Amino acid sequence: MTRHNRILLSCVYWAFVAYVFVPLILMVLMGFKDSNFIGFPIRSWTLDWYTGVFADTETLAAFGYSVAIAVLSTVFSVIVGTWIAVLLEGRKFWGRAAIFGMTVLPALIPGIISAIAFRIYARYLGIEPGMGAIVWSHAVHNVPFVVLVVMARLSTLPKSQIEAARDLGADPLIAFLRITFPYLVPAIMGASIFCLLLSFDDFVRSFFLGGYEPTLPVLIFAKLKSGMSPEINAIATVALVLTAVIGVWAERFTRRMNKDS
Amino acid sequence: MTYDASAREERGAVAESASDRTFWGRLSSWAPYQWLATFATASPRRQFLILAVFPILWVLTQHLGPMLQMLRVSLTDAYPVAPGVEQHFTFDNYLSFFGDSIFWMPFFRTLIFAGVFTFCTLIITYPVAYFLARHVSPKNRMLLLLLLLIPFWVGEIVRTYAIMILLGNTGAVNMVLRFFGLIDRPIPFMYTSFSMGVGIVYLTALYMLLPLYSSLEKLPKSMNEAAADLGAGAWTRFRRITLPMTLEGISSGCTLVFLISTGFYATPVLLGGPSTTVFAETIAGFFHVAGDQWPTGAAFAVIMFLAALAITAAFQRLMTALRKGDTK
Repeated sequence: MTRHNRILLSCVYWAFVAYVFVPLILMVLMGFKDSNFIGFPIRSWTLDWYTGVFADTETLAAFGYSVAIAVLSTVFSVIVGTWIAVLLEGRKFWGRAAIFGMTVLPALIPGIISAIAFRIYARYLGIEPGMGAIVWSHAVHNVPFVVLVVMARLSTLPKSQIEAARDLGADPLIAFLRITFPYLVPAIMGASIFCLLLSFDDFVRSFFLGGYEPTLPVLIFAKLKSGMSPEINAIATVALVLTAVIGVWAERFTRRMNKDS
Repeated sequence: MTYDASAREERGAVAESASDRTFWGRLSSWAPYQWLATFATASPRRQFLILAVFPILWVLTQHLGPMLQMLRVSLTDAYPVAPGVEQHFTFDNYLSFFGDSIFWMPFFRTLIFAGVFTFCTLIITYPVAYFLARHVSPKNRMLLLLLLLIPFWVGEIVRTYAIMILLGNTGAVNMVLRFFGLIDRPIPFMYTSFSMGVGIVYLTALYMLLPLYSSLEKLPKSMNEAAADLGAGAWTRFRRITLPMTLEGISSGCTLVFLISTGFYATPVLLGGPSTTVFAETIAGFFHVAGDQWPTGAAFAVIMFLAALAITAAFQRLMTALRKGDTK
């Protein structure tokens, strides 16, 4: 009975793997199709669509724009998120629960509502639609993820180390910089990569807060609305390979770092 | 540990007082820094304030601020305010929601779709999580889980496009069906609630899978074994032990997936059709046309958010009640 269950369940697992992988594999394959028409079967193959991506200035510009936004917003998210985490973890004070609730709020608001709220608030603050507005919205949206990851790591820091440093004459800032911060580095690295990918992949906020210059997901969306073409497959594949490779590398990296210390 | 060595080094620095070779020693004996440090740490209260002021201001102005501002705009008759026009307080934006079926139809459709898709995600991912947590050795578990994580690093738009290629009239599914002679002409999967569902389940599955997996992993095997010894069949064991013990994971997974699926904009635009317009598209419409529609859009976003919150809150209460009832 359990044996049957086991075989049945493993079939379900592999079917699920197929469900999540097959669409992406098909999409990658379609980028090699030697025809303008999206659809199976693929009879002849070409590399032209891929070489085209690297020659297309519009795509390359969107790519660079997305990367710049991701890096900038991640820097802000990580600094603010770590600061909030240090305040919240292991400290009891009046209003802590309220501050924690507000901290995780941006992560719980459904995408479209968050985008609309940021759009209105950017207008209120006088930020023009464009790079600044996108960076700001991504930074705010990603802060909760940093806070949660850093808080989890901080809760495992042995208090005795801080106390020892303080006994030896370190002031709180030096104790933080020399003991707490190095201990947090794996969590901060993991959170940064998560933020980079969230920002790079984000569509809805970039769409509502962007100016005329499109980020990569916005560019793909615009192209898709005017019709499918293997060119889009090639662009999407480049984005896919980049995010998947970084994601897997980050996963392994944080796992190793966590094991080491 | 490296910390011990550096701490000892620092004690040396303190003993020798002012002069020191390390960066940290020099920093702590630098006059402006010393002045700042004494100022900042004069009392625990001041120390706390210096730490707390920035985060509190940040969450108030950046996290809560946008929502409050949206609420405020939704209660006005004009925003952004044109020069020479006076802004008035009004409930009209909320009332207009009930006035036209073109508004509330997508709203209820969104909530129903989100509920149905959440349920589908639960049904699809539960066996997967169960298999990973209960039938795979801990050594392989991480590998198999990591395998599932790879596609989820890929962005929303790219994965939506992948579903378009899968389900299109000349897509892979239709090609396979035709190859086996099951159909003569392609089945129009695209631009229906079906294609939207496939896409949304694809995008949200991980947010369901991870909470389920972690609650299943915590479940001790001995409970099931004890039940089996006492004569409970597989179905009874699942219904009386596994399911009640994983209600927490089900509850948080469903909440997350529900909230996320109400907020999708690009996926319904690309995968849905005219008969599947969701509320996100309605809201977005007010921001693409003339600016004076913003208050209505804001009001609709507030309605959507409150409805989603109310539903998830009610759902969580129900789950808590179920959990209490079972452990009695």
